[in-house]
Amino acid sequence: MPKSQYVDPGKVFQPGYIDFESIPLCAYNLTLDEEKKLYSKDDFLRIYHDMRTIREFETMLNEIKVKSEYNGVKYTNPGPAHLSIGQEASAVGQAYCMDINDFQFGSHRSHGEILAKGLSSINKLTDEELYDIMKEFLDGTILKVVEGKQAHPGDVKDLAKDFLLYGALAEIFARTTGFNKGLGGSMHAFFIPFGIFPNNAIVGGAAPIALGAALYKRVNHKKGIVVANSGDGALGRGPVLESLNFASMDQITKLWGMGGKYSDEGMPILFNVFNNFYGMGGQTMGETMGFTNPARLAAGFNPTQMHAEKVNGYNPLAVIDATKRKKELLLNGQGPAFLEVATYRVSGHSPSDSSTYRTPEEIEAWKAADPIPAYRNKMIEGGVATAEEFAAIDEEIVNRTTKIIKLAIDDEISPRMDLSKHPDMISSIMYSNQHVKSMDETREPEVLIPKEEDPRVKQIAGKARYAFDEKGEMIPKMKLYNIRDGLFEAIIDKFYEDPTTIAYGEDNRDWGGAFAVYRGLTEALPYHRFFNAPISESAIVGSAVGYAVAGGRAIVELMYADFIGCAGDEIFNQLSKWQAMSAGILKMPVVLRVSVGSKYGAQHSQDWTALCSHIPGLKVCFPATPYDAKGLMNQALNGTDPVVFFESQRIYDKGEEFHKEGVPEGYYEVNIGEPDVKREGKDVTILSIGAVLYRALDAAKKLEADYGISAEVIDARSLVPFDYSKVIESVKKTGKIVIVGDAVDRCSVMRDMASNIAEMAFDYLDAPPAVFGSRNWITPAFELEKYYFPQPDGIIDVIHEKLMPIPGYTPTYNETELEHMDRARKGV
Amino acid sequence: MATVVIMPRQGQSVESCIITTWQKKKGDRVEVGDILFSYETDKSAFDEPAQTAGTILEVLAAEGDVIPCLDPVCIIGEPGEDISALLPKSAEAAAPAAEEEKKEAPKAEAAATVSESTGERVFISPRARHLALESGVDMTKVVSTGPHGRIIERDINKALDAGFTATTEAVEAFLAGHPIVVEEEAPAVEAAPAPAAAPAAADDLRAYVDEPMSGIRKVIAKAMHSSLSEMAQLTLNSSFDATNLMAYRAKLKEAGETLGLGKITVNDMVLYAVSRVLPNYPEINANLIGDTFRKYKHANVGMAVDTDRGLLVPVLFGAEKMTLASLAAETKVLAGKAREGKLTPDEMNGGSFTVSNLGSMGVESFTPVINPPQTAILGVCCTVNRVKADGTVYPAMGLSLTFDHRAVDGAPAAKFLKELCTALENFDLLLAK
Repeated sequence: MPKSQYVDPGKVFQPGYIDFESIPLCAYNLTLDEEKKLYSKDDFLRIYHDMRTIREFETMLNEIKVKSEYNGVKYTNPGPAHLSIGQEASAVGQAYCMDINDFQFGSHRSHGEILAKGLSSINKLTDEELYDIMKEFLDGTILKVVEGKQAHPGDVKDLAKDFLLYGALAEIFARTTGFNKGLGGSMHAFFIPFGIFPNNAIVGGAAPIALGAALYKRVNHKKGIVVANSGDGALGRGPVLESLNFASMDQITKLWGMGGKYSDEGMPILFNVFNNFYGMGGQTMGETMGFTNPARLAAGFNPTQMHAEKVNGYNPLAVIDATKRKKELLLNGQGPAFLEVATYRVSGHSPSDSSTYRTPEEIEAWKAADPIPAYRNKMIEGGVATAEEFAAIDEEIVNRTTKIIKLAIDDEISPRMDLSKHPDMISSIMYSNQHVKSMDETREPEVLIPKEEDPRVKQIAGKARYAFDEKGEMIPKMKLYNIRDGLFEAIIDKFYEDPTTIAYGEDNRDWGGAFAVYRGLTEALPYHRFFNAPISESAIVGSAVGYAVAGGRAIVELMYADFIGCAGDEIFNQLSKWQAMSAGILKMPVVLRVSVGSKYGAQHSQDWTALCSHIPGLKVCFPATPYDAKGLMNQALNGTDPVVFFESQRIYDKGEEFHKEGVPEGYYEVNIGEPDVKREGKDVTILSIGAVLYRALDAAKKLEADYGISAEVIDARSLVPFDYSKVIESVKKTGKIVIVGDAVDRCSVMRDMASNIAEMAFDYLDAPPAVFGSRNWITPAFELEKYYFPQPDGIIDVIHEKLMPIPGYTPTYNETELEHMDRARKGV
Repeated sequence: MATVVIMPRQGQSVESCIITTWQKKKGDRVEVGDILFSYETDKSAFDEPAQTAGTILEVLAAEGDVIPCLDPVCIIGEPGEDISALLPKSAEAAAPAAEEEKKEAPKAEAAATVSESTGERVFISPRARHLALESGVDMTKVVSTGPHGRIIERDINKALDAGFTATTEAVEAFLAGHPIVVEEEAPAVEAAPAPAAAPAAADDLRAYVDEPMSGIRKVIAKAMHSSLSEMAQLTLNSSFDATNLMAYRAKLKEAGETLGLGKITVNDMVLYAVSRVLPNYPEINANLIGDTFRKYKHANVGMAVDTDRGLLVPVLFGAEKMTLASLAAETKVLAGKAREGKLTPDEMNGGSFTVSNLGSMGVESFTPVINPPQTAILGVCCTVNRVKADGTVYPAMGLSLTFDHRAVDGAPAAKFLKELCTALENFDLLLAK
């Protein structure tokens, strides 16, 4: 909502029409003679070679799957194999136009796309570049397998083809010599040095990630385009539609750039839909969708209609023609673009597919139109090459494929990860745990003013960085450096240090974030580094994943933690998993800020730390003081791992009550995973998660004053990772612990911690670890919250009922085990 | 309901006590506070007052019996009451039964024969269980206050603070839900062995009197024997030039009183020097318990005191922090208590090192025996005049250091001794430290 754009009621109500341009359908009509002017014989043969290589590779996989034998080689592959036999022309045509700076993202049916892009890259790279890539990748592991075994010794491109096929197949067969040490597998294989980016087993999952990679190119002025491949089935998915919209935002051309530079550049992304008419078995055209053609869908997103067009995917030359035109548009700043490539999957969705959803006649008709023989025949008839020349290509491909499978199934040459011998191998790649100040040290960050001149920075300079004055009186809130300020300082510092750092989310710019953490950033940063995203949580988080995968650092915000569900796949399957699925090749420097609300009822007040902590691969923080907020944010921003950063709206304005020397102005880190003793005690331990810290401290004060019980209060600060040492040390001292937090009790992190503490410190416990979370209800209205969220009295009740009955104490709430059994029985 | 009186536990390391005298006998009427019997621990003597009024229905131990702590000693109730359930089974019957129960643990359902151990599961937190076993609390005196009647840590501490202790075996038995049956190590000294005089003619040159060993003597005997049989002890002898020490002592004698310093003995000065040197030798300022070194953070120096009852060793806790004057005052208090039999077990346990002084008896060197589980002991000997190479005569005071070679090697022990000698030779300088 920039002020520069006026919403004029006079214009809003003007009558008129929205005009649409016609969308071209299969308009390619060049004759071979015309094509001969565009392509050399080598080009023609290479297109055949690449299609044929993919066909043979997938035929081999299919035979292994259904017959456990290919060309005399026996093998059983229990893993998935989603084949795309029939779609080779589409993949090769697309890849033909892409060079090494162009990134390709795809789906679970991407073997063909990977090989096509790989073969295209091999053709475009010099021998030296190729050899260096092979030598450096995973310390030459793959090169060592294939080197010395090629059919044409000394031919680097021949070697590179072996390298490509072997790396992909070993990955499919889960071998440590695969592109990602076998941790990605068939549906996730990728190879970044050739511009092949992660392929995604979640239908449509790659769209927001590809968008993020394009965002990286757009924001950091990088060469090349991004192609987001998906099937027609993926167009039913929200994240894909969100991405189409996100890429089409007006601001990209109207508001981005700075000082007259980098404006008028659209998002350099091509959404490419391989329309094979089926999403597994559901028929998009005629059954599950209403668009008749995917291209129709795209035309509604912006006035350029995303340059939508449909092309014949059974003709590689038609695909090349269309893709080339789209790429030119993108490079001219006219992105995004959309291409529907009509094709057909002759093979089943997977080998278990019995094609109950289509007739044999339909399959036969498409087999008859098979693009590979059709292309070959056209070339022979047109005198481009002889049948013998094509036969020689065929023979070479069969030989290569046979050689590669023999290498890939050899347990000596291509071993699987030995988790007996190296039990920590996967543990060691779940996080990258690096400290990288700047993701690009070659550039200066783009900013609008010196940091010192930022109005927020100036305002903070006058604030008290410790909450109490010399007399021990609390300083008035307006003069107090608070949690907002701590977060802001860490973030603005990073903006002035790392040129790739960007932040976006809903209502970030101008408004300064719904909770004012970002107030002051608008003045300091150009639009493309700090902007308002559409209300598209999937696209917000998914694009951050892509932004990081491409090499940048992103801070994205979901406003309320309750919106985590809207970005479920992006947080739980993408953000969390790509570092490990890439065998540690990818880094994921993304901080996802979410805020836990209060006073706003059932859908705006939830602490969902449990959901994020449950998913392996994420780090999860929840600070409750300005010192911890800044220190944890600093470490999160300086790291290379995805961090879900929980904040609480109850305590944004809290001053620093614990560090007497105040929150440091300079840089410091608080270790993610290290809890902090906020109050020492000896009789009972209270472990708090998030904002409940202050209620825990109130309970501790009351216990001391009224009952002479000395409570130790530990602030968890982060949830994943979590070092239990301090907690166990405390439990050894007190023998009793209650874990409190605002999350609902059932399946909470508190429950997990209680179980761990019981196991780790059983012999020291004087009572089972108690948990006091919120009720397993909806969050009621603010006026009723004390019956829902843990209160100081309730904490004492739990201590009284479960840990150590306090003589003369009368509980306020019913926190007895009997009551809890009854609640569990009722599921509340 | 009749009450079983048990042998109390005095101090954490005490496992059994000897009944020295019965003040009441079976059938006597007793009131609360009446002394039932006197008994001795290894280091002190105590009287046990009745805690309930009634008639002594049964006496279960004779004078001179060694009774494990927590074992029943007598039963007080009302005449005619059936106390058969409270009587311990005969040793023969009890031993196999106890074994049976061990095998079936933890579901022993045998009826409790004593106290509140009911033979049912005891609900107790892991922490309280741990503390109970470690401290040897008298579980029968523990009142549970935890949730659902669970015994929690504070309940054990309360019983401990009140001085209720028992043997580890008794705690284990209680926690396992067993009736408390404690096997006797050996048949108790046969019933009341009155001093047996040999048939004696007035002039019989072979006349003798058999006297049973006193409790303290027995304990000392056992401790000394186990000390020598279980450790690898050897003694290093050395001496130091006591000129400086004696001169300082003379000064103290002269002017000390006017300065209000009180009497300070040579032994106090040696203790002072030891307390300053000890912290530099953690293996010597230590206990060796099994395979564990308990290295003390303070110099808790035991001082051997000869008393009518036998050798007692009260401990100067944190001696390294005391001034010479305060150390001397403390040794006086402790020695006084020792001679009056008023030392509590806690004043005698927890020493990290011991100093024994036979110098006043003219002993020139000896092999002091280590006070287990300590790792060394220093013997202080008398001064003898020696001649230096240049012909000057000086008073040389002997020091005999016995150490446990399992814990400490000869070189560090010798180094300790040497540093101690240097400290004593320069006592005035040491005071400045």
